Amino acid sequence: MSTGVSTDLESYWHELVTAALLGTDRRQPPIPPPGPVADLIDDAVRPDDASRMLAAVSSVAAARRAAFVAGAPAGQLQMPDPDERLYCNAAAVATWRTVVAEWPVLEDEWVLTVIEGGMRVPPDALVEQLQRHRGDATRRARTAIAGGPLAVWLVDHVPSLAATTRAIASAEAVANLPELPVPPELTHLLTADAHTFVRRLAQGFDSGEFRAPHRAVLVNLFARCRPEVLANAAATFSTAHVGLALALADLAKLRHRMLTELGAAV
Amino acid sequence: MTVTELAIVGTPAGYRESVAELKRWTVEQVAAVAPSPRSVAAAEPLAERDRWSALGGDQRALWGRCRGSGAEPYDTAVDHVEVAWRCSCPSRKHPCKHALALLLLWVRGAVPVSSRPKSVESWIDRRDRRPTGAAAGSDTSPGEPPEGAVPGSAGDQLGGDDSSPTDRDQLDRSRDERVARMMEGLVELDRWLEDRMRTGLADPALARYGTWDQLAARLVDARAGALANRVRRLAGLVGASPDWHAEVLAELGLLHLIAQAGRRLPTMPSELADAVATASGWQVRHADVLGGVPETDEWFVAGRSDTREDRIEVRRLWLRGGRSGRWAMLLSFAAYQQSLDDSLTVGTVVHADLHRYPGGSLRALAGRRYADPLPFATPKAVTIVDACDEIGQAVAAEPWLERFPATIRATPSVLDGRWVLTDATGSLPLQGDDRALGILLAASVGAASSGEMLVGMTIEWTPWGVRLLTVHLPDRTLDLGPRAEATFVGAS
Repeated sequence: MSTGVSTDLESYWHELVTAALLGTDRRQPPIPPPGPVADLIDDAVRPDDASRMLAAVSSVAAARRAAFVAGAPAGQLQMPDPDERLYCNAAAVATWRTVVAEWPVLEDEWVLTVIEGGMRVPPDALVEQLQRHRGDATRRARTAIAGGPLAVWLVDHVPSLAATTRAIASAEAVANLPELPVPPELTHLLTADAHTFVRRLAQGFDSGEFRAPHRAVLVNLFARCRPEVLANAAATFSTAHVGLALALADLAKLRHRMLTELGAAV
Repeated sequence: MTVTELAIVGTPAGYRESVAELKRWTVEQVAAVAPSPRSVAAAEPLAERDRWSALGGDQRALWGRCRGSGAEPYDTAVDHVEVAWRCSCPSRKHPCKHALALLLLWVRGAVPVSSRPKSVESWIDRRDRRPTGAAAGSDTSPGEPPEGAVPGSAGDQLGGDDSSPTDRDQLDRSRDERVARMMEGLVELDRWLEDRMRTGLADPALARYGTWDQLAARLVDARAGALANRVRRLAGLVGASPDWHAEVLAELGLLHLIAQAGRRLPTMPSELADAVATASGWQVRHADVLGGVPETDEWFVAGRSDTREDRIEVRRLWLRGGRSGRWAMLLSFAAYQQSLDDSLTVGTVVHADLHRYPGGSLRALAGRRYADPLPFATPKAVTIVDACDEIGQAVAAEPWLERFPATIRATPSVLDGRWVLTDATGSLPLQGDDRALGILLAASVGAASSGEMLVGMTIEWTPWGVRLLTVHLPDRTLDLGPRAEATFVGAS
């Protein structure tokens, strides 16, 4: 049964969809509106309803796709509150990505150094950080500070960036690096000068005192030692014979680079 | 020749470098492959930039010439993906200290990204041709890889002509047979489409994947691989959205259009006939494509888009000619644990030849490269209305197109509860993940001037909406196109 003559291509298309749902065994193809599509279908010699239907569908589908037009302009979103801080540079963002991928123990320090340096996080890294720290109240709070009004604005517009935790971090926890466990016999190295630091660790590697099980605490030590020792430690241990020492040299080098890029005193 | 073989981007800056950094080994990994800790210690003094010349690396390999104790420097190369090395030194240790030193330099970020030398290229090629551990990422014939083919394999690239007939008669016979098989396939496709029209889209058979898969298999047999893949993609639309009936119907209509056009190839203008043949899956030898007249231009790498199609990951790189303004697309494929082509970086400009597939196709192969790429460029952007005109013209010329790019200057906004891209001339509905949307929003705020949040971006039109691929900022490029799952593609 025909549905009568359609007045325009769009309503004709809807009629075609309805007819196609039922199939031409149960419903005849609709009659096209007068115009190029009707001419095209008439020109095609088609023996049955199904092939006539296919001709109509292909003509209208092609015409609809080619008639790709823009919708009405939309109003611009309201801007977030202004933030006068400068973005930290692209090299620092690249280092942040390396930190996250290879030495995440340094991430807290990266963010805190950005905040203390009066900088803010560039857009792409900010979105990644908001996604990354949805469930950690302290890191989330730091990200919000580093992102400024833009972070709040983004979360308002993209709900999937919102926090998944309702916990509230203390101001002290947000402002300070978390403590990392270091064995009592090594705690003096946290504040040691470069010479003492390097000599003590070199002794440990040479004597076999420091082995794979010590990796975690030594990583903590390198992540919290005085920045002034990093260059020396990196240079010394990058020529060591021990894989663990080489890895720690890599950590020292990355932390030194990170702090230098962010303008912290090293 | 493949896209991968073309050469490697030589920019030391920008996004490429950050990718390279993420994929670098750690020092512990270097120590792990060393024959002994002593070898690492022996390598350490050699891991100094001034000991090396012709030092370079890319996503697959590292190379350089190390000044050692011999009169001649040692030529060293490392495949850091498949984990292999070679060195001209006489050492019987594997890896030798030169290879370890090269790795240490790379780990420390001291190896510049540069074009792969021919000797390293051929070494990697030889490794890739071995039966095991073959890497992919190479370009293939039109219409995506054939069923069951390993991307990058010779059969894939040469399509149905892999029998290499030795005389003209054999070649003609082979071609005639292929044409006849394809015609049979197109007739069968049309018959199948008519059956769908008769029984209707409410037919429960449409919900069964087997209904589509059998047709796709038949089209593969008929050497119409592009149509087979299209049918499989179409199967994924069934029931996927509230108005899937309309989407499926439109696709069935376009399949009919290709099937009808394919049966009339001899009567068509040659360029249109070539375009139809390509859309059907007629495969063309790479050598024939590369033998065509090249388009030499400053090609801006505007965007990248990865999609999973059945068991293959497909990467599309969209390039725009600086002089011609014409778009071109480079494709690469990867099966499970193989690598996609990473040799061109979004946001760079490369002075090179591109060879288009027949019919003035968007699809092209990269040819000769004349200079190292410029690391960063700001593309010319158009308004949304102008972009719609460009897209509409392209789709009118080839209604079966499934993607077309545009570089616009717009801002994200909300219209009727949906995200759109908008400017003073119009708006386009936006598809994509929240991460890309969030970064676009943040970037548009960062780029705001005089109260306007317009930012340059490259988008990809599909019949189902517009997808964001790239945000072009004044000082860098953000590559936000859909990316292949790291667990699927290999770690090159």
